[in-house]
Amino acid sequence: MKRKASSIILNLILLVVGAVTVYPFVWMLFSSFKKNSEIMALEQHLLPQEFILDNYVNMNAHFNFVRFFLNSLLVTVVVTLLVVYTSTICGFVLSKYKFKGRNFLFGFVLSTMMIPWCVTIIPKYSMIQSFGWMDSYKALIIPAMFSGFGIFMMKQHIASIPDEIIEAARIDGANEFFIFHRIILPMAKNGISSIAIFQFLWTWEDFLWPYLVINSQEKQLLAVGLKMFNGQYSTDYGALFAATAISIVPVLLIYLFFQKQFIAGIAASAVKG
Amino acid sequence: MMKKRIFVAMMAAAMAMTSLAGCGSGAGKSTGGNAEAKVEAPTEPFGDTIKYDPSVEINDGKDISVELWEWGSDDLFQQVIDGYTAIHPNVSIKLVNNPWEDYWTKLPLALDGDKGPAIFNVHNSYHENLINYMAPLDIPLEDLQADFTGVDAHVIDGKVYYIDYGMMTGSVYYNKKMWEEAGLTEADIPKTWDEMREVAKKLTKRDGDKLIQAGLNFNDDFHQNYLLGLNYQLGEKLFQEDGRTPNVNSDAMKKVMQMLVDMYEVDGVGSKDFGEKGADSFGQGQSAMVIQWGHYYNTLKTTWSDIDFGVFEIPTFDGNPYAYNRYNGESTFGVNKNAPADQQAVAQDFIKYFLANDEAQINFNLAMSTFPAKKSLANNEKILENPSLKVLSEHIDHYIWPGPMPSTVETSLKKAGQDIFFNGVDIDTALNEAQENIIKDMKNSSFVSVENLYAFDK
Repeated sequence: MKRKASSIILNLILLVVGAVTVYPFVWMLFSSFKKNSEIMALEQHLLPQEFILDNYVNMNAHFNFVRFFLNSLLVTVVVTLLVVYTSTICGFVLSKYKFKGRNFLFGFVLSTMMIPWCVTIIPKYSMIQSFGWMDSYKALIIPAMFSGFGIFMMKQHIASIPDEIIEAARIDGANEFFIFHRIILPMAKNGISSIAIFQFLWTWEDFLWPYLVINSQEKQLLAVGLKMFNGQYSTDYGALFAATAISIVPVLLIYLFFQKQFIAGIAASAVKG
Repeated sequence: MMKKRIFVAMMAAAMAMTSLAGCGSGAGKSTGGNAEAKVEAPTEPFGDTIKYDPSVEINDGKDISVELWEWGSDDLFQQVIDGYTAIHPNVSIKLVNNPWEDYWTKLPLALDGDKGPAIFNVHNSYHENLINYMAPLDIPLEDLQADFTGVDAHVIDGKVYYIDYGMMTGSVYYNKKMWEEAGLTEADIPKTWDEMREVAKKLTKRDGDKLIQAGLNFNDDFHQNYLLGLNYQLGEKLFQEDGRTPNVNSDAMKKVMQMLVDMYEVDGVGSKDFGEKGADSFGQGQSAMVIQWGHYYNTLKTTWSDIDFGVFEIPTFDGNPYAYNRYNGESTFGVNKNAPADQQAVAQDFIKYFLANDEAQINFNLAMSTFPAKKSLANNEKILENPSLKVLSEHIDHYIWPGPMPSTVETSLKKAGQDIFFNGVDIDTALNEAQENIIKDMKNSSFVSVENLYAFDK
């Protein structure tokens, strides 16, 4: 009885916390169907008093929404795939191969996570400029190919795969390439899902770096486009909310797809070492 | 199965919404020339003193491409680009639109190398960050002075790097419906602050002790729209003789601050707790009058289109002010001194075209609700059709620009006002503190006030 009561209380608390977390998103979604004057009105209603689609229809008045959306999707998918692959292969090497300087190398990878991004952004910008990669997706994809966090996560995760499986494969004549692609990759599914979700989210919402290196409107990304709604003197909230509502759909889908593996992956990486 | 259904439903929703967005007008900004509207290219020289001769070739007629960086108003810029490229088809100007706030991070980084934009939009509040990257304008100073007001304030060692195409300042916006309900007519438009206070009292509504309609609301605005401007009406400048020492604890500033306190606490025409921002409160139909700068006209037209409003000139203390208010300029473009010489030549020519082109000047000023700095446009019909500009036309020469003041002047006075209204600090103490704070913050600034260049300087 006591257990049941505490479970109800816990669920109630979680329900309240969940509602508080989700409410701003729900408010934003409904507000995307309101006029700006209603969004800014003194008397606030959750549901639109006057339902309009203009914020969606006129979204292109600020920038080419569809183009920016597809650009973001392309860059995010490519970066996520690359990071997943490089993190898994580096994690595999650092976890399952014994060589001199392995711990130093891993420490070096970890140290890259500890340098604030604002310290590296100007040298990174100068390098990209001198490579002639400005206004090109090379500037977005190549520096993002390796992730210290991803390598760390995958090293921890792959450590949980028994060495015996790898040794058995070697005895059966499997080469290292085969072992990685046919044994490690499928067995690291949960860790890969976690990295994929994190990386997808970070790349999708990254604003400053794409903004600094991309100039052409036809190559620009959605996170930069969303900032265009903030004018010098005013903000077009309705259009901003409409664009944001659409922009979060891919992230939701990715999470929805991988949530089971994501949770398992996080838990596994946290306890195995 | 369930997950699949949700996935399909969300994909369908996303696709429907993105295709809806694709249907919208605007269809993404064309960054090249405007293919739909054919732009007539003038053949005869045009302009006042600054003349633009379309027959003079640029870059010897050879193809050249430059970038123009700006924020916010891409249609406006594209019109000027289309006009210019119609005259010079060998020139291609790529417009790069930026979000306002982050433009000031990206632009200096880009200008630091040799691959930055040849032309870029300037705001004088970022003067110190940009001036070292700018090339002086290739137009004789006398020509600029002949055609535009306020040029002298932009002269640095005999050279001009940018000027103002328009001047923005504050006016009183009033709700016409509330005005009528209070039994007021056009004849009641106040000329002095005493009259303003009486009108504000009539426009104030209470339900018992509870304020339900403010006659005047200056919440979150008092520093920008009152303290930094009304001092001029009383003959006091914002900076002392040396142009560097602030003058914000002057008697004039204290008088203005006292008037604001009295309006809320003695007259009861508003309250510090009645709406976080006066501008929003006016739009929400809660306040009858606000003093706002020109940009508010466009905000009312777009965000608060339901409000029927009128505009009148800011009142004065005695009808004969030293100056009516402070103004700030909307700046012309900058030329990147690190850009290749041929690109700089295009940039210089483009700015000359912009300055000589009356239509571009009118369009930019109407879009920003700024009064044209071009002297020949002061009585232009289209300009005077905009009520927020019409009210300025009579005394526009009696407004002062103090120069690109460091932001500490505004923020310190904002804090002073908040201390007075919310923390019970007395006016003298709060303004003295603001004075000390500004002096401290300006130690490393190269700012020198240009108030002494005011035409009616004492």
